[in-house]
Amino acid sequence: MRAITRNYAGAFSLMFLLLLGAGARSVFAQVPDPGTPGPLAVTREEYNFGDTAFQPSNFPGPVELRASIHYPTSLSGGPFPVILFLHGRHVTCSQGGGGVFLEWPCSGGRTSIPSYRGYDYVSNVLASHGYVVVSVSANGVNAVDNSVFDLGALARAELLQKHLDILNTFNSTGGAPFGNKFVGKFDMSKVGTMGHSRGGEGVVRHYVLNDSLGAPYGIKAVFPLAPVDFNRFVVNNAALNVLLPYCDGDVSDLQGVHFYDDARYNVPGDQGPKHYVLVMGANHNFYNTVWSPSNNFPGAINDWLAFVPGGHSDDQCGSGPGNQRLTETQQRGTGLAYMTAFFRAYVGGETQFIPILTGDAAPPPSAQTNNLFVSYHAPAALRLDVNRLLNDTNLTINTLNGAATQTGLTPYELCGSAASPANKCLPDFLNAQQPHTTPSARSSARGLSQLKTGWNNFTGNYRNDIPPALGNVSGFQAVQFRVSVNFADARNLADLAQDFRVRLTDAAGSSASVRVSDVSGALYFPPGNVAPVPKVVLNTVRVPLSAFGGVNLNAVRSVQFTFDERLQGGLLITDVAFASAPQ
Amino acid sequence: MNRILLNRCVAITFVVLPLLAGGYGAFAQRTTNKEVPVRELLKAPGRLVSEAKSARPNGALRLTGYRVEEVRLQRNLTVDIKGQQIAADKAWRVTVTGGPFPVRALPAVIWIDDEIVGNGIESEDLSQVTAITFDSSLIREGGVVSISYGEDKDTRQRLSQRLQLKREGGNQ
Repeated sequence: MRAITRNYAGAFSLMFLLLLGAGARSVFAQVPDPGTPGPLAVTREEYNFGDTAFQPSNFPGPVELRASIHYPTSLSGGPFPVILFLHGRHVTCSQGGGGVFLEWPCSGGRTSIPSYRGYDYVSNVLASHGYVVVSVSANGVNAVDNSVFDLGALARAELLQKHLDILNTFNSTGGAPFGNKFVGKFDMSKVGTMGHSRGGEGVVRHYVLNDSLGAPYGIKAVFPLAPVDFNRFVVNNAALNVLLPYCDGDVSDLQGVHFYDDARYNVPGDQGPKHYVLVMGANHNFYNTVWSPSNNFPGAINDWLAFVPGGHSDDQCGSGPGNQRLTETQQRGTGLAYMTAFFRAYVGGETQFIPILTGDAAPPPSAQTNNLFVSYHAPAALRLDVNRLLNDTNLTINTLNGAATQTGLTPYELCGSAASPANKCLPDFLNAQQPHTTPSARSSARGLSQLKTGWNNFTGNYRNDIPPALGNVSGFQAVQFRVSVNFADARNLADLAQDFRVRLTDAAGSSASVRVSDVSGALYFPPGNVAPVPKVVLNTVRVPLSAFGGVNLNAVRSVQFTFDERLQGGLLITDVAFASAPQ
Repeated sequence: MNRILLNRCVAITFVVLPLLAGGYGAFAQRTTNKEVPVRELLKAPGRLVSEAKSARPNGALRLTGYRVEEVRLQRNLTVDIKGQQIAADKAWRVTVTGGPFPVRALPAVIWIDDEIVGNGIESEDLSQVTAITFDSSLIREGGVVSISYGEDKDTRQRLSQRLQLKREGGNQ
């Protein structure tokens, strides 16, 4: 019987592959590259109100009010959406001979390090498509932020809000140094923010701050780039995209994944789409040109090589032959592609780029690599949660109140959350190797609840039953889940990708399955051999419902994972759902 | 375990009810109960409790030594230590020297043995990193000082010389 089923599945799989190939070509043709420069000429200017012009509340030092502004040279098409960038923590001042310092303002003839200029490569492209992009300098925060409890999150948030106030003045009454040039040219109801490193937490904190003030500015989209998440603030009801560099040598625990994990079910009815992008071969610093060695700014370093003991020899992130590291240019390509796609989609309403963010389209050419993984959590109205796997009840009863059952799986348990006695899913490995559960410096919030499981022969099966009243899933695009190969489970062979099948069965007993490897590369064995790699990051697998031919999508009765593609293996799984992308 | 330790240290370092007067000027006006006047504590006079120096920099952070100083507070602070609120009249600065220390997103974490003293604050010239604690039990004879970025114990870099507490020391 099983052989028949497998043959059927195999035949269908082949057919699906053909369809997928045709479909993929069609989809890719319809998704333009968001990172290609647009038609508009761009002007870059700066404003500077002084190194000590702003005093964040309860903060032990003054902060500069300085920023660059990229805008379409012809302002006649305005008002334009506004994008704010905020750099992260870095040395603040330099002196001849390469000496660097952490002080503010710079003293004794030292000059400030212009970290805020490091994202001009993104600003230029966005402005050429009709966006105003403001990149804020925050050296004054960096100089003393370790002295305050929240490590500077609120100061960064207040700084961003101050710049929005300044832009609002430019937009409403005008003001020095631009006079009336920008009056009526900024759409302050369409704002996006990107923050890098500690700036990543800064933009999340800013979203919360702006909200607490009655949302005077319309923050539509928040993009933490290689962020810290010390305090565990959450973005609710706005688009979120977190970029995680696999070879981050600074925020090496990829703690920023908490922003996504914490936001998923935080408020009922959340209509904000949530994404993250795991970029293999990327480090922390190369996303900022000023922090990148090729530009010769003082303090610029390759963080993986500088901060990871023995990091040179890592076969993924190191510098030896065969390493998988991205060059500075390649890495910035990923930043360009996914920042422009995100802001153009969710701030500018250019929804044609959303498939790039959900993984339904391949990385665009501007990304300069395909070796990345996108995860996606749909807005509440576009999602039917099958099993959130939040607590032990979900091991037997899923989120739809259907039965959750297994055969041949061991272990079959939850790890990673408050409901789990052991917070870490991999107790013998560093926190930095399991980002979803890595602790936070200023919060006791727990990590991501995950199903830790595995199989020892071809009979392993994980099944979620769907109550009849909820079985009409025809309105959704895909069945999806997040998954990682558990590198600590010896049943997984090093460097060999895992595989299994997703099977849907309808009320009449008809079923079809799709092999995960046919739709996703997420079952890779986590690469690297020098801690903090390998590491487990759960990536989304989205299986189009159109691939389950012969199944009545109006009456689906179960979703099964059948572990019959590999003799044995071990996985971490969460977020089983039907979902669609925003249109 | 790390989590518990860190929470405790965070509490020790930051859950403060009445604030310093006089010398801690601007901070004395704070209404928040979470902020310790760290910048002032970094500058306040201290009594040297233990010190180690090496002429040869050690490891990736080029560590050259440590310094532990006792700082007498001008007014007691109510702090939470191991879940109990106590009135502290002293703080301790634990400074690791070497570097130049990197300015990273992850803060430096200074440890004594397996307990976290606190997050490190870099000096302007990046030649030292200092954490402040109100927990006298951390300052113990024979303790091993170490430093990490992030809280993974296994990534710590240790100072080879253990704490040797001085019974008397001059003001610094």
